Amino acid sequence: MIDHDIIVIGGGLAGLRAAIEAYQLGADVAIISKVYPIRSHSGAAQGGINASLGFDDSWEAHAFDTVKGSDYLADQDTVDVLCKEASERVIEMENWGCNFSRQENGKIAQRPFGGAGFPRTCFAGDRTGHNLLHTLYEQVLKCNIKIYSEWLVTKLVIDKGRCAGCIAMNMADSKLGAFRSKAIILATGGYGRIYQRSTNAMINRGFGISLAYMAGVALEDMEFVQFHPTTLLGTNILITEGARGEGGYLFNKDHERFMSNYAKDSMELAPRDIVARSIQKEIDEGRGFPGGYVHVDLTHLGKDVINERLPGIRQISIDFAGIDPVKEPIPVQPGQHYSMGGVSSDINGRTPMPGLYAVGECACISVHGANRLGGNSLLDTVVFGRRAGIDAVDYIKLIQKADGDKLIEAFRQEEGRLQGMFGGEGGNFASIRDELQQIMQEHVGIFRNRKGLEHALDEIRKLKKRAAKLRVQSKVKVFNFELINALELQGMLELGHIITIGALAREESRGAHYRTDYLERDDGHWLKHTLAYKDVEPRLEYKEVNIGRFTPQRREY
Amino acid sequence: MVQLTIRRQDGNTIWYETFDVEEKPGMTVLEALFQIQEKQDGSLCFRYSCRGAVCGSCAMLINRKPVLACRTQLSAVKSEVILESEKEEILLKHSSKDESKEDVLVEPLPNLRVIRDLIVDMDHFYRLVNSIEPWIHVSEKTGYEENIIEPSMQIQIEKYTNCILCATCHGNCPAAARDDKYLGPAALAKVWRFCLDPRSRREDVDKLTSQVNSKEGVWGCDVVYKCVAVCPKKVPPTTAILKMRENTKSKSD
Ligand SMILES: Cc1cc2nc3c(=O)[nH]c(=O)nc-3n(C[C@H](O)[C@H](O)[C@H](O)COP(=O)(O)OP(=O)(O)OC[C@H]3O[C@@H](n4cnc5c(N)ncnc54)[C@H](O)[C@@H]3O)c2cc1C
Ligand code: FES
Repeated sequence: MIDHDIIVIGGGLAGLRAAIEAYQLGADVAIISKVYPIRSHSGAAQGGINASLGFDDSWEAHAFDTVKGSDYLADQDTVDVLCKEASERVIEMENWGCNFSRQENGKIAQRPFGGAGFPRTCFAGDRTGHNLLHTLYEQVLKCNIKIYSEWLVTKLVIDKGRCAGCIAMNMADSKLGAFRSKAIILATGGYGRIYQRSTNAMINRGFGISLAYMAGVALEDMEFVQFHPTTLLGTNILITEGARGEGGYLFNKDHERFMSNYAKDSMELAPRDIVARSIQKEIDEGRGFPGGYVHVDLTHLGKDVINERLPGIRQISIDFAGIDPVKEPIPVQPGQHYSMGGVSSDINGRTPMPGLYAVGECACISVHGANRLGGNSLLDTVVFGRRAGIDAVDYIKLIQKADGDKLIEAFRQEEGRLQGMFGGEGGNFASIRDELQQIMQEHVGIFRNRKGLEHALDEIRKLKKRAAKLRVQSKVKVFNFELINALELQGMLELGHIITIGALAREESRGAHYRTDYLERDDGHWLKHTLAYKDVEPRLEYKEVNIGRFTPQRREY
Repeated sequence: MVQLTIRRQDGNTIWYETFDVEEKPGMTVLEALFQIQEKQDGSLCFRYSCRGAVCGSCAMLINRKPVLACRTQLSAVKSEVILESEKEEILLKHSSKDESKEDVLVEPLPNLRVIRDLIVDMDHFYRLVNSIEPWIHVSEKTGYEENIIEPSMQIQIEKYTNCILCATCHGNCPAAARDDKYLGPAALAKVWRFCLDPRSRREDVDKLTSQVNSKEGVWGCDVVYKCVAVCPKKVPPTTAILKMRENTKSKSD
């Protein structure tokens, strides 16, 4: 048995920030991550991190933009905290060495971002996530915090109504370890890869979120899934909003600037969800190119502008699509981008399960509500990562470590379960995953309706049955990815199921959740959070939204 | 169809194995590896995460060049000619080669111990980087006041903070091949990044500078720019090394 006071699961921004705080407050803290921390998805974030640093900007203005962007589903008490603490957290990252881009006067530069009233997005070129992640990782090294790298957590252990530790598999030899702790901070990121097209890293499968669900913790607002309008055809790597911001046009296969039919005034620069829906509509109605895409055309901007303002986008297009945007338009399609929902947690990252915290993209605090603003999720990771670290250190002072019997029992059970996954015939992991991804993309995607969602539900139930019979053929012990994939697939199916059930129940359109059979937002019935609990089928309950100074209005831009 | 010939290893057993891959437009070598892992041989292992050339997980040797597999288009390497002398030795090892198909050679990153198949022991590389204590020391409370940094300095530092620690440089470095105590291009580039940074304390810069003034440090480099040539992020470690050599010389003058 391995002992630590606090175990952080996840080596992305949220996890690292939580670990640093707990360490600085004197706790014995360790990090478990299925990839070496700097390989985490956080490193891929491009655009930036929001903070109202400007003298003419204010945290209240930031809070208003966030709440409005959320289509009034965000909890306003948590949004206040997010926006109030933003400047301190960003400046702290700067103090720790993050190489932010600068203004002429040497201060941190800020750029305008979608849905924001002020230019309040701080950035490090178009590699903000990379710079933040490496900076935090350097501070983790400085603290000499113990990291269990390339360990996959497979189970959270609950003892007498408290989270008492976890079981994890060392990927290097497939052996299980029992980790005993007083508190666990879950920071396992999003689940983008349950969709066929996603901007997320390949490793973002939401397995961590499913572990909390399996342990009886509620998942909140899972039906809210953000789709980005422009992702590169094929790999679905993000083509930043900046490409349109700099003057790029969207064309369908008839070379029509189709945005004029959807948003006459703002055209290509309408809010994310509107542009995503417009592109999808063009494709669905046969005006996309064969293979389902449209064009972002930058050619009229000229080589100089492209090289100066969008060098990253040019490089990505060349490397991953073999297309030079100086000469040709870029083929794009909408793709899953961010998960607003997650493990239900509060202003200090506490979940309803004592001893279990959740922060970052895996959590629903809820600061993003029905739709996240660009630049707010990187902020979310450092603000609430730190707060969870502080709260967990207080919490562990009050409790005794569990005796370990329950942990040993769970360890044995997991060993048995893993053993049982080997041998025999029975399905291929990849085919079940591909089908799930396709169903989610088609029926639980940008446009949703009762018929499609019910169909998806049936199909997912069938896939779950097939997955239960899945058997791992490869018997290697060292980095057995077939085993890892099979394990994670079960979590992916669970999340797909929960998202679909939540989307079916929510008979309105709000933020990223768009029902073609219920086109309007319905505050009378649906200004509330969805909570999904583990049962034979996911069981739904609802919770009030914390409304503060901003009363819900129509969301117009 | 494209053939991938992969150097496999399990324990001490090493073999070359050829797989047929159904090529799709725009396919990368990483995607080809997934196709093999998912459809043909579940035991094949390799590291990955972002698939977008930002996380640094997937460095390997493709046609004898250290590259990121996710950034390498199959179409660009399938008809590439590998140096004849090097190719010979491989061809002998797998006789089933079908001459009519295009072939890509995939091997683990050199200069690091192979754990299995394409996964190498990165801990050695990380230990070298971490040994320079790559961080900013701040003793005071953080979060209150930002440092003022000239935009031109930010751009200079950026050249080095762009490093994703993928270790392709290490895999192409003749000095690292010779001497496993040599800090290597990535660690040395990082030293220079901290020397440049106005947020570094004077005493840390002095410590770093004297630490690398050794044959495991800047004097171990062959100055052949092999690291610069393969860096997927255009980081120039050799430039950093030469600057630091100059600095130590001028100090002792
Ligand atoms: C392309 C792209 C661009 C983006 N750009 C921006 C932007 O400009 N601004 C912004 O604010 N947001 C942006 N986002 C969103 C933002 O990057 C993420 O929401 C954020 O980085 C998530 O951080 P995290 O720490 O919660 O999770 P992650 O960084 O995803 O880390 C999750 C960690 O959990 C570990 N893990 C997961 N499961 C397990 C398990 N079972 N056992 C052990 N370890 C596990 C992983 O190894 C990893 O270390 C972007 C997202 C994408 C996809
Ligand atoms: S998978 Fe991230 S760099 Fe290749």
